[in-house]
Amino acid sequence: MPDDASWTTIGAAVPRIEGRAKVTGQALYASDEPVANPAFAFLVLSTAARGRIRSFDLRAAQAVAGVLDILTYENVGHEADPPAPHGAGEETTTMQTSRIWHDGQIIGVVVAETYEAAREAAYAVGVEYDAEAPSATFDSPGVQEEVREPGEHKDFAVGDADAAFDAAAVRIDARFGTPTQHHNPIELFTTTCTWHDGSLTVYEPSQFVHGLRGSLAKQLRMDPKRIRVVARHVGGAFGSKGIPSARTAWIAVAARRLNRPVKLVATRGQGYTIATYRAETRHHIRLAAGRDGRLLALRHEGWEVTSRPSDYNVSGTETTARMYACPNILTRVNIVHTDRNTPGFMRAPPDVPYMFPLEVAMDELAEALGMDPVELRRVNDTQTDPATGQAFSSRSLMRCFDQAAARFGWADRTPQPRSMRDGDWLLGWGCAAAAYPANIGAGAARVLLGPDGQATVQIAAHDIGNGSHTIIAQTAAERLGLRLEAVTVQLGDSDLPPAGLAAGSSHASGICHAVAHACEDVRARIAVAATTSNAGPFAGRDPATLILAQGRLRGEDGTAEPLHDALARVTGGALEAYAENIPKGLPPDSVGKLYSGQMAISRGTQREDLTTYAFGAQFVEVRVHARTGETRVSRAVGAFAAGRIINPRTAHSQLMGGMIWGISSALHEATEIDTRAARYVNDNIAEYLIPVNADVREVEAIIVPEQDAEVNPLGMKGIGEIGVVGMNAAISNAVYHATGRRIRDLPIRIEDLL
Amino acid sequence: MDIVLTINGREHRLGVDVRTTLLDVLRERLGLTGSKKGCDQGQCGACTVLMDGQRVLGCFTLAAAAQGAAITTIEGLAGDGAPLHPMQQAFLDHDAYQCGYCTPGQIMSAIACVTEGHARTEDEIREFMSGNLCRCAAYPKIVAAVAQAKLAMGHA
Ligand code: FES
Ligand code: FES
Repeated sequence: MPDDASWTTIGAAVPRIEGRAKVTGQALYASDEPVANPAFAFLVLSTAARGRIRSFDLRAAQAVAGVLDILTYENVGHEADPPAPHGAGEETTTMQTSRIWHDGQIIGVVVAETYEAAREAAYAVGVEYDAEAPSATFDSPGVQEEVREPGEHKDFAVGDADAAFDAAAVRIDARFGTPTQHHNPIELFTTTCTWHDGSLTVYEPSQFVHGLRGSLAKQLRMDPKRIRVVARHVGGAFGSKGIPSARTAWIAVAARRLNRPVKLVATRGQGYTIATYRAETRHHIRLAAGRDGRLLALRHEGWEVTSRPSDYNVSGTETTARMYACPNILTRVNIVHTDRNTPGFMRAPPDVPYMFPLEVAMDELAEALGMDPVELRRVNDTQTDPATGQAFSSRSLMRCFDQAAARFGWADRTPQPRSMRDGDWLLGWGCAAAAYPANIGAGAARVLLGPDGQATVQIAAHDIGNGSHTIIAQTAAERLGLRLEAVTVQLGDSDLPPAGLAAGSSHASGICHAVAHACEDVRARIAVAATTSNAGPFAGRDPATLILAQGRLRGEDGTAEPLHDALARVTGGALEAYAENIPKGLPPDSVGKLYSGQMAISRGTQREDLTTYAFGAQFVEVRVHARTGETRVSRAVGAFAAGRIINPRTAHSQLMGGMIWGISSALHEATEIDTRAARYVNDNIAEYLIPVNADVREVEAIIVPEQDAEVNPLGMKGIGEIGVVGMNAAISNAVYHATGRRIRDLPIRIEDLL
Repeated sequence: MDIVLTINGREHRLGVDVRTTLLDVLRERLGLTGSKKGCDQGQCGACTVLMDGQRVLGCFTLAAAAQGAAITTIEGLAGDGAPLHPMQQAFLDHDAYQCGYCTPGQIMSAIACVTEGHARTEDEIREFMSGNLCRCAAYPKIVAAVAQAKLAMGHA
């Protein structure tokens, strides 16, 4: 029977299977879940950034009609522990004690019959503080700086970078800075808690439902089996919904005290301090090369802000040390403790801040050498990880540069700054490399295949806009030989087999492998039944040679029988298979860890056999107005090689969205801090600038085909993060080309160019 | 106070706090959760609905002030199993979303953008769709979707 393309699923650009639900408003996000007779919560946040609460005056709040309960450390402090710290060090507390760690810390929860009453009462809560002067950010009095010890992240010392730098012919020595940024998903941070017979159900947007369940079990000292976390659709996350926040346990406590569902929809402004953010960073880079352009020395030192007790850091030197062949490498990372909320991961966590200085320095080096920036990357390209000496599983960096350069028309660039112009607009063309480790999460999946040829796939994966529903269905359809429409996907529920944290470009590969394993179990059981049976076309054959395809069980010679008949040999009903996938580099108890709420991700930087990374290249055209300094990205072309792409349509949206995030990062986004109060000033999405439709012109993402048999069995690398990486530098380099001004502090603003 | 709202062709009588927004009535009282809350302060457009065919922000409209108007929400465009509105279909066709959270607001806004006559060129679509933020940054695909749907809606 000829192959019919309409059955092709893995690799097909099919529309999202949940698309209809999304365009009709039927897709349920956490705060859309109907609960009976909810009470409404409103958070009270601290207005001091450091010190203690001396006293509350709750009289006015309690007098508001409809108020049901007010929670503070005084009445509920003992009822919940804080979430475990993410990363090293300790976590800030909230209502456990009177201690204030940062501005905007949760210090009270008001619950009322209506949202309006809860809000009114929350603003009526009186608080007296014993406040101390806070340390807001770099250079503030009272910050504590320390060298980050090796742990989750490590440093590299290859050769002698300082001596090689001193002796080199061409040298770049520069300092850079990146600002505080907040994820600002359009969906707010919401939590709805309901109790039933001592069991808790939580509806909350989450990138890791098993993680949230495990954390709540510890915080509330409960059996995790009595907690269910549901997040069927997540309205954007970008890292902000990955780790448990303090709010959830307090809403659970509030609901338990009232014996009634409690619903919290935190305000946009509150989201700035009750969740995480990308901390501001500083960098010192030294880069040296011979006249031929070959790198001789790379020294990259970073500084990152964190909270007072936490040692959280992203240490993107793990990527910058691996970008280019270089015999002498030295990296170091410092953390700076301030009186702020603890930062966390935000889209391309290490690589957005750390690739910016490296890739601008490479542009500076190219100019110093009189060399084309693309050729400088080519001279220093390598298939060997320079930091460890291991091979890359695959690395298509220069194919990305070449395809994007051709598409962009790079050959027409005149290298001198201010040499290209369109009337009053100075044109600048710049480029930069992108890279992100190919991580993969452990996971488990259950597949049910019925006699009607319909399959249901169950895995507690997360659809945060990353296309999880669709790629799970595609993987199952392909492996079970079904049409896509015959597959139903259930995800986003901690009652399902666990998937990992949907972050770090580890999710798609993690969940597709788990689903493929469960499908293989289904195939194997059907095939064994067919070959061990005395009758039927496959009797006596090797079961490994049989596949499920196009609604049939098929042999290599084309012999086939309908799936229904083959399935009947195994069961009269539905065949159920459960399988776990533990990627290379992870210990055997990894799925058990997921069940208990811990992360289990095999990182491309930590494998002992290979280094696994996706690579890309970004090219942008900026137009800078010669008189006003107004800067626009008029064109962007990115090319990315990230192994096997399950769905080029959703992948394209991810990559394009990442590139626009990059435009935003370079030109728009920054959280401003009042350094006297250690307070975020522009805590809303009008004054925290993100691009609107009119800010975005041509953005083209090219998927460069790449096969990688080593990275994992399906050859997937993940694409959620890499689209944003390199854009900061590409835009800064283009602005330099347009104006002759090298901007090393982001975002680039009009005042930098006047 | 007691109010009467006409939503998707149906009348609803209910008692509300004078401070209650149209968005909160839709979401918390009537189970119409297709309209989303992304800021509650008129900055994001996720709550966009139509009042007598004009786009308004549900979070910036007091429920009491919405009386007397014909209100259309995303749920009013295509019933269960019914064919999609051309704008909904265009968003599907162009993958003009990722997480989908801004999408109901984008679609309602886009319909008005077309009927207002503000979708004649791609530049115009970009400009007149700039009140609806999309953090997933599906903007180029949203522009393509609006451009497709306006033809199906009989506009040039
Ligand atoms: S929720 Fe109404 S504009 Fe954002
Ligand atoms: S699709 Fe996610 S915010 Fe627009």
